[in-house]
Amino acid sequence: MRRFFYFRLALQNIRNNKKTYIPYILTVIGTVLMYYSFQCMADNPGIQDLRGGTVVAMIMGLGTFVIALFAVIFLFYTNSFLIKQRKKEFALFNILGMEKRHLGRILLWETLIVAAVGIAVGFGGGVLLTKLMYLFLLRLMDFPVQLGFYISFSALKSAVILFGLIFLFTWLNALRQIHLASPVQLLQQQKAGEQEPKTKLLMAILGVLCLGTGYYISITTESPITALTLFFAAVILVIIGTYLLFTAGSIAWLKFLRGRKRYYYKTRHFISVSGMLYRMKQNAVGLANICILSTMVLVMLSTTVALYAGSENMIHSRYPRELMVYANMVTESQADTYEEAVNQYLAENGLSAQNVISYREMYGAMVREGSNLRGPVGAQDMMVSAEAHFIRIDDFRQMTAGTLPEALKADQVFLLYRGNDIPGDTLGVSGLTFQIAGRMTFDEAGIDPAALTDSYNVADVYVILAADTGVLSQIETAVDQEIGVEDSIFYNCDPALDQLRYVYGFDLGDEAQVKAVQEQMSLLLTETGIPQGGIENRYDNTASYYEMNGGLLFLGVFLALLFVMAAVLIMYYKQISEGYDDRERYQIMQKVGLSRQEVRASIRSQVLSVFYLPLITAVIHVAFAFPIIVRLIALFNLNDVGLFLMTTVITVLVFAVLYAMVYAMTAKVYYRIVSE
Amino acid sequence: MALLEVSHLKKIYTTRLGGAKIQALKDVSFSVEAGEYVAIMGESGSGKTTLLNILAALDKPTVGEVLLEGRSIVALKEREISSFRRDNLGFVFQDFNLLDNFSVQDNIFLPLVLAGKSYEEMVKRITPLAHRLGIADILNKYPYEISGGQKQRTAAARALITAPRLLLADEPTGALDSRASEELLSLFADINREGQTILMVTHSIAAASHAGRVLFIKDGQVFHQLYRASLGREEMYQRISDTLTTIATGSGRRQA
Repeated sequence: MRRFFYFRLALQNIRNNKKTYIPYILTVIGTVLMYYSFQCMADNPGIQDLRGGTVVAMIMGLGTFVIALFAVIFLFYTNSFLIKQRKKEFALFNILGMEKRHLGRILLWETLIVAAVGIAVGFGGGVLLTKLMYLFLLRLMDFPVQLGFYISFSALKSAVILFGLIFLFTWLNALRQIHLASPVQLLQQQKAGEQEPKTKLLMAILGVLCLGTGYYISITTESPITALTLFFAAVILVIIGTYLLFTAGSIAWLKFLRGRKRYYYKTRHFISVSGMLYRMKQNAVGLANICILSTMVLVMLSTTVALYAGSENMIHSRYPRELMVYANMVTESQADTYEEAVNQYLAENGLSAQNVISYREMYGAMVREGSNLRGPVGAQDMMVSAEAHFIRIDDFRQMTAGTLPEALKADQVFLLYRGNDIPGDTLGVSGLTFQIAGRMTFDEAGIDPAALTDSYNVADVYVILAADTGVLSQIETAVDQEIGVEDSIFYNCDPALDQLRYVYGFDLGDEAQVKAVQEQMSLLLTETGIPQGGIENRYDNTASYYEMNGGLLFLGVFLALLFVMAAVLIMYYKQISEGYDDRERYQIMQKVGLSRQEVRASIRSQVLSVFYLPLITAVIHVAFAFPIIVRLIALFNLNDVGLFLMTTVITVLVFAVLYAMVYAMTAKVYYRIVSE
Repeated sequence: MALLEVSHLKKIYTTRLGGAKIQALKDVSFSVEAGEYVAIMGESGSGKTTLLNILAALDKPTVGEVLLEGRSIVALKEREISSFRRDNLGFVFQDFNLLDNFSVQDNIFLPLVLAGKSYEEMVKRITPLAHRLGIADILNKYPYEISGGQKQRTAAARALITAPRLLLADEPTGALDSRASEELLSLFADINREGQTILMVTHSIAAASHAGRVLFIKDGQVFHQLYRASLGREEMYQRISDTLTTIATGSGRRQA
């Protein structure tokens, strides 16, 4: 049977080329495995239940895209390298009377075999790996994880489609290469080095532009909500920029090294630089892949570890005091009566309120335009909102360590702010104009930002201190006129009747008492006639915070392991395939007088000249990603930049050590192959 | 003192499976004076390649001694071998053994780079050599872009650039057409006249007829040797041919 004949020939070819095909098939398996595992996690219904589930789902979607992109580039390049290696063999078939369409058919079978083995084993391995990692991490982390284990057939389906397309693509590319050349050309091409890409300068410029734009987005984005939407674009730009710059940059760098005669004509540089130039494009893509995977590992780990380690910080932000009362429509006398009653109860039980927070305010999300604040209109305004807290100056004195003016006139305000300052000496609020009598940042005023509601999710927070409730009433009227009473942002207060939003909280320093005090405080609220109020205690939700952040940490560690595996695989593939390729060269050089020590030295030179490049670039990427990630984790109520900086630095250091170890190991494999 | 002295070389290989012993060299002794051009002939399996590998310090004999300028090659330590080889020996191989990732010039520079010579020194040495070998125009090309004859002249340049005590050539014309072979052989003859000692392993009579002396190896032993003395190329060719016939028809002095 003819068809059977081609199939057997294809199988035979793979067997004959096993030295290059085994690493290639392993790479295919590894890539499928990684794609499946990731997709499987992204599809996991438990994701949506995680804290910040929508953000996580979006990041996972992004991750799937990145991995797909990565798979396309990586497999395409390893395959074209493989085909180049085999051109001599194709020429031989051609000379022996096999037509190019027959060759195409053999190649089709080979591709199908590799695809079938790769996808089947990759899927099986993926199922096994996700299960094992799931169990391993479950044990390691010692908390209930909501993400259940399951076998995802939808992930399998998308893997089959993606990899089917990739293999179709590689097959067509192989056909193109064979069709373009005569047998004699094919015979010679195997030995020829890779050609320099023609559009190198264009690539370099484009690369710088992409990378620069990505970095720029990260540095300049201030609002966490905007950060979320732009993060995706920034990541894609940085990835594209990395590929372009590594290709253009590494070739330019190697050529520069070759041009420096005194450097180039030293045994160890001579061999390594020429070897890398010989397969410059493959080299560049391999390095860029390692760089991107390393960046992903670093970002995943540092972020999720920071979120987990920052659980206390988040709890503190959400519950600034052990007991917190939030109530609407509260008058000054009600507040005073209530606090007296609470203090009396505490005193009777031998307790006292510490770190007391107490103020009444009128607050809402507004839009700042220059020196003016106005009410938000429509959805797009929500994205650029600032938080405005209008408070009677006398109500806020005990909240700040800074010196406030004795009194304000009716057309004066005192400004406390976090984020951007208000330019100029006047503040406009929906058509009203106020003199700014003085201003302080939160830090200068010694204000704990956590004590102010919702202050983490926006870039700018303003506390506007006014003379009396009359001024607040004026402001309410002006804003309501602007946006309509039915859309009022000040629905929870009525300053005309001295009814404001009331925030009251304190620590007891005694967790055991908190529950009992909370019950009593709840009763007192009703007694005082404050109907729209609620009391929260910090300890009720501590466990759930750890659980949810633990879920994120699990996800982060899972994905980081996956990416580390991929990076190791690429390093390994790079060393193995290059090792077999370089073996003959090293043998010739040894005949001419290259000693074993010099073989080692030349491998070391290769490490120093390029192998640390991906790691260094990854660290630069992480440094530039830092600002935007700080904004993103603010969405999770984490506002401890110092903590995030620490986890990032530690992650980078640990990863660098791991990187060096993996490299040393693969370099040893390479050495064994070339010196056999 | 002779430049190269080979005495009572014996080499026994043990096959990996079954441990059967194969004798590649039985008892080989000869010497080469400085400035000589010696060809070693023999059929496939006669032990030529084993002998050359031992002379090149690529392999060690089971028994016997090889002295180059009175210094034992056999006793060299592993770490000395590489530098010994690149300082004292030049190699020309049948299949050229050029490196595809280096240009012609860099291929020629390779042994000098390995020896840690400065770039200026390398340039100084390559210029006259490249003109001499007719490869000055192709120095920037890559091995896959040039002809077989050019490749072998490049390989010769690589061997000669270190000014070796001894040039070892292993079937240098084996992969060349007759014209390129003739060019290479007359080149060898020229450089020999200028004082270069050459030891060439070949089974081409035409190649051997250029040499000053021809050693015949059969069954791991030196079977016979021929001196050119005042003979012309054609006569030499005839004598070699006759000797080979004698060996092949089995009327020789020794039996295996």
